[in-house]
Amino acid sequence: MLKVEHINACYGESEVISDLSFEVPKGQIVSLIGRNGVGKSTTLKSIMGLVKTPNGQILFNGKDISKMPTYERVKLGIGYVPQGRDIFPQMTVQENIELGLQPLGGKGKVPEYLYELFPILPKFAKRKGGDLSGGQQQLAIARALAADPKIIILDEPTESIQPSIIQDIGAAIRRINEWKGITVLLVEQYLDFVLENASRVYVMEKGEVVFKGERNEQDHNEIRRLMTE
Amino acid sequence: MEQFVSTLFNGLSLSSIILLTSLGLSITFGLMRVINMAHGEFVMIGAYMTYVTQQIFTSILPEGASDIYYIISIPVAFVTGFILGSLLEKFVISRLYGREIDSLLATWGISLILQQAARSIFGTQGVNVTAPAFLQGGITIGGCTFSFNRIFIIFLVLFCLLIVWVIMYKSNFGKQMRAVMQNRPMAQCMGINSRRVDNITFALGSGLAGIAGCSVALLGSIDSTVGQSYIANSFMAVVLMAVVLGGVGKLAGAVLGSTIIGSASIFTENYTSSTIAKAIVLLIVIIFLQKRPQGLFVIKSRSLDE
Repeated sequence: MLKVEHINACYGESEVISDLSFEVPKGQIVSLIGRNGVGKSTTLKSIMGLVKTPNGQILFNGKDISKMPTYERVKLGIGYVPQGRDIFPQMTVQENIELGLQPLGGKGKVPEYLYELFPILPKFAKRKGGDLSGGQQQLAIARALAADPKIIILDEPTESIQPSIIQDIGAAIRRINEWKGITVLLVEQYLDFVLENASRVYVMEKGEVVFKGERNEQDHNEIRRLMTE
Repeated sequence: MEQFVSTLFNGLSLSSIILLTSLGLSITFGLMRVINMAHGEFVMIGAYMTYVTQQIFTSILPEGASDIYYIISIPVAFVTGFILGSLLEKFVISRLYGREIDSLLATWGISLILQQAARSIFGTQGVNVTAPAFLQGGITIGGCTFSFNRIFIIFLVLFCLLIVWVIMYKSNFGKQMRAVMQNRPMAQCMGINSRRVDNITFALGSGLAGIAGCSVALLGSIDSTVGQSYIANSFMAVVLMAVVLGGVGKLAGAVLGSTIIGSASIFTENYTSSTIAKAIVLLIVIIFLQKRPQGLFVIKSRSLDE
């Protein structure tokens, strides 16, 4: 579904990721894991087109999207949940979700299942996005799913979230994957969360992939070793 | 008392013209951080379009029937402003994003070019538009005369304000515009073509300035600098909005800012002189800055970086 091949990305003079390659097969939950500052978020921003990628290719269903503008990539069926959630502060919760319909030209309806998945959202529908304390993550995920994307890209969904909600978010991610068949690319630092939910894990260090692991004990032990040593 | 009421009335009609011009300025500034120095020239273009429409109508239609020229000139001025604004954004401003000073200088240059173009086409002598018969005269209530053309201007502006409100808060385009204003990269991640939003917004603002030109044409003679005399107040209103009323690009702020500037300048002008008027308006801005730097309409938000 999504194939990143030998991409580079820089902020000014400093290269943040170099010659990075990985693949997200259709229908899977794939995770990029690594410590702070190894270039995980930059990788996602490169996929979205928010950061320039001078070299390499980003293939989405076989088509190179690396030179397309951001909004065109989104219209191909990519949903994005950024690290800071980036809720539109002066719009209500409902308006924020409905903005998720923009890839379809702002028409259509928000799928009902999203309100079942995140019951907190209909409860706060009329509140301003900026006034919401809990539930911003759920809102950001629902917004990214409103247009029924083929893949959803999540940047550290567990960051600064209380443990009980982390469980819910993990369950929600697995459900959208199982029910709707939506492919998931998950960037995380939280090891247990990744091992519990991902079917494939790439470990990143200093802008490069250093290990690729599948869902088995041997690989999980190696990932644990890399992340804790 | 009578003088007070008629001053208030004149202040209102000036405020409404300022409102039309500052709407475009503030929306483009709020959206793209671009200060368009050539905005006043769109007022001038609108005024000249009114004149041109009148010339054409009086030459082809019999007297009396040609009065509808004024009604026709409003959409003509809007469309001309819209198209020229769209071209200006596409070929100049969009190439200078993120370079505030450069875009300021570039638009100032364009302002000079447009003024010279007007002088070359229409001459240095001011031209006059005859107000249509239905806008001549006025009604007198208790010793105060309310002229029809000023009443018409106020209602025209209210109508435009309503349209802008509908576009901003009820249409899908308005939703896109507000999203881009609040968070440009995230709006792009929602599949919004922010370049297109910028272009149409800029064109809309320029079209509104064109309509303001139609109003200006009713009040006095038109020359190449007619935009400048109105735009100074509009800039002041936008500054007031930006630093005082808590953010640019909101309708309530634009209405209040323009009303304060418009009324203040007419009142002080009436009782003192126009130089003192400008100074007093500036003083008001400074007092606001000192006393309420956070603005009158503060956006409440939990995030610290707002």
